[in-house]
Amino acid sequence: MACAPNRVRLLCMLSLTFGFFIVEVVVSRLTSSLAMLSDSFHMLSDVIALVVALVAVRFAEKTQSTNKNTFGWIRAEVMGALVNAVFLTALCFTIILEATERFTEPHEIEKPWVVIGVGAAGLVVNLLGLCLFHGHAGGGGHGHSHGGHKKHKNGKARRSEMLEDCRSAGEETNNLVGNHNSSPNGVNTDRRRADVCHSNSLDLQINGNAPYEELENGHDSASQLNMRGVFLHVLGDALGSVIVVVNALIFTFVWKPCLPGTLCENPCAGHQCTDHVENISSAGTNHTMFKAGPCWVLYLDPTLCVIMVCILLYTTYPLLKESALILLQTVPKQIDMHQLKARLQELEGVLAVHELHIWQLAGSRIIATAHIKCHDPTSYMDVAKRIKDFFHDEGIHATTIQPEFVTMNSDSRASLCELSCRTQCAPKLCCGAADTVKQPDGALGQKKPSESKTPMVPGEGSALEIINESVETASRPEAPVIITREVESSL
Amino acid sequence: MLPLSIKDDEYKPAKLNLFVKLSGWFRSILADKTSRNLFFFLCLNLSFAFVELSYGIWSNSLGLISDSFHMFFDCTALLAGLAASVISRWRSNDSFSYGYVRAEVLAGFVNGLFLIFTAFFIFSEGVERALEPPDVHHERLLPVSIAGLLVNLVGIFVFQHGGHGHSHGDEGHGHSHSLFNGSVGHGHGGHGHSHESKHGHDHGHSHGGHGHSHDYPHCHDDHSHTPGKGSSKQILQGVFLHIVADTLGSVGVIISAILMQKYDLMIADPICSMLIAMLIGVSVVPLLRESIGILMQRTPPSLDLSLPECYQRVQQLHGVYNLQEPHFWTLCTDVYIGTLKLLVAPDADSRWILSQTHNIFTQVGVRQLYVQIDVAAM
Repeated sequence: MACAPNRVRLLCMLSLTFGFFIVEVVVSRLTSSLAMLSDSFHMLSDVIALVVALVAVRFAEKTQSTNKNTFGWIRAEVMGALVNAVFLTALCFTIILEATERFTEPHEIEKPWVVIGVGAAGLVVNLLGLCLFHGHAGGGGHGHSHGGHKKHKNGKARRSEMLEDCRSAGEETNNLVGNHNSSPNGVNTDRRRADVCHSNSLDLQINGNAPYEELENGHDSASQLNMRGVFLHVLGDALGSVIVVVNALIFTFVWKPCLPGTLCENPCAGHQCTDHVENISSAGTNHTMFKAGPCWVLYLDPTLCVIMVCILLYTTYPLLKESALILLQTVPKQIDMHQLKARLQELEGVLAVHELHIWQLAGSRIIATAHIKCHDPTSYMDVAKRIKDFFHDEGIHATTIQPEFVTMNSDSRASLCELSCRTQCAPKLCCGAADTVKQPDGALGQKKPSESKTPMVPGEGSALEIINESVETASRPEAPVIITREVESSL
Repeated sequence: MLPLSIKDDEYKPAKLNLFVKLSGWFRSILADKTSRNLFFFLCLNLSFAFVELSYGIWSNSLGLISDSFHMFFDCTALLAGLAASVISRWRSNDSFSYGYVRAEVLAGFVNGLFLIFTAFFIFSEGVERALEPPDVHHERLLPVSIAGLLVNLVGIFVFQHGGHGHSHGDEGHGHSHSLFNGSVGHGHGGHGHSHESKHGHDHGHSHGGHGHSHDYPHCHDDHSHTPGKGSSKQILQGVFLHIVADTLGSVGVIISAILMQKYDLMIADPICSMLIAMLIGVSVVPLLRESIGILMQRTPPSLDLSLPECYQRVQQLHGVYNLQEPHFWTLCTDVYIGTLKLLVAPDADSRWILSQTHNIFTQVGVRQLYVQIDVAAM
């Protein structure tokens, strides 16, 4: 099969499914079969799922950052996967609803041959879809190779322009980073330029000029999530078609219906009809009574539906969980925060690490932010390079490191955060941020208020001061008060 | 030597741990006003659903049974909101460095999705019924439907005065659908979903609050007595929409029942359903737009105007050459996080620049800021 990109596959499947939906609606009108109409609406929901995935793919291709979306639209694929997973779950609920109704009031299938025909056609369409999407979504092995081809073409184009960019930017970045150790490292400027260039290009990733490898990997795993959602949807539909066909087949061959004109009773009908039947039975006791076919056939349909729902829910749950976790800003599972933080603190020149946050944008694009405490600005540039390299080694290429410098009299309190981020979420958390003991729960920061704001009433600050554990410098008692007042008013 | 602490957590049996966890959750639910309201309304809805189910089984009305299932489905929306309000208060840990605060946005989004799905389903059922009008029996269901409407109205009241300017109480959706579902169910033998009740909000719950009687000043979280209120906005919005959808459904059901009884307009039922489905769809759009914006890491809409001004001010600081790669996004309601890189002169005072930048951005409401300083070469 040709390695068609995602979009083409989705469009293919979309047109097929939509066409089939129309066919089903027409057939249901012709045969006035309500079951067919409801099945056609299931097809329509499939169409909607494909549309969602298509929209997500279209959006996610725009990786350039815009004014409003500074990260680009990469997250759209994760959102598409989540929407599809939620949609599937809701669909499962409605199927259970319908199945329960069938349990309480079973009825026969009218015109089973038409149902078999249409069901088989639907099954063919769905199997085709499964083949289309299986390579991309489930296995993983295929997926990379397919995706790789497309990305490689793009990657090559990008690589050439990237190198050009790099060369022009190389001068700048060399000056940027390399200047602080110009004296001893005069000889290494070339290699440093290459290094810096590479790291700079990786840094530009957020703005969409991602280097080739990152682009492939990032897109692959993000779009994999989206395609998995589509695959599950098509799988659910295929299972549904299988059930329809199996049920109709068993019905045709096992069920003995009540032919019009003969006297027979239908013991399987719902309670509403029993009075009617009893009248007949009391009337014609002399004739032989035909009984309509085995009743268990009527209960086969809902039972199969329930089994299908279980299978679907079981396969949808991991997708739901994964996309929800990404959207909840979780730390990617391959990264161990504790270890990372410990290793970061071991780096030379790093006194302390605060407010380390690592989260996944989509796929393999991981973003990290932190405060690093170091001795003074001159040593900072050195440390900055080392920290960036450290993160690159971990696979995190978009980092923002805020330096914090030790103040004169707070050498002993090297672990305290000078410009701590006042998190409004902290009061909402159960017991406050338990992350750093040094940080107070009210998250008071110590700023050097060069622009002093109008001093607030110090009275209210006292209550919070009790909670406040870190009073960094005794010389600034008003600072916490002013800042807490701020926090209060905007909470 | 006395032991300072006794740690026998490891020796507790597993069952006791589960019980402890559950009671912990329970306490956490009752602690916060929002989750307390949600929990009680969930209980009310659940009990009503059980009553309807038992009544339906006893009186053999398929419509009532299906309607009660529909109510159970609605209860899951309430449950999602409740779970989100509890989860978002958990502490941050190694895997979730920001804590779980995003759960509320996710819950609002998922509720919005469920509502859209429900609207779509009601619409499809309306179409089916229009093409094949069933015979409608509504005598038995009128009292149940009216009871459902009352439950919904209670919900609306409770959640409306929830407090902090969040205008939407999310009341449970009344199950007024029962009226229709039951009647329809008989005819169909099975599509009795009371979607009718699902339509809801003509309020346009949008956070902008247009059309809403509640004013929604989005920075008025300080009015709330509990600090957690601000964060529950998304949850409450989602739940409220659900409730209003149900109420409107009930109202629609009653109106069409009257129309059918008095004027024998059989077409009223499907038309009502379709109208209500469209109303639900339209009203959910603002909630969806907001949560999608947050989840896509979009720049906070409330900062759209003030951010360029801040960039200007930062670039005018002494020593700053350039401001690069600004990224601002919303963590949860009213909590903004930003990162940016500053290109500074080598002789600039980094500390002063850092504190000034922090000041500038704190004034617009961005509390968590990460400023990277890149020193330019001479």
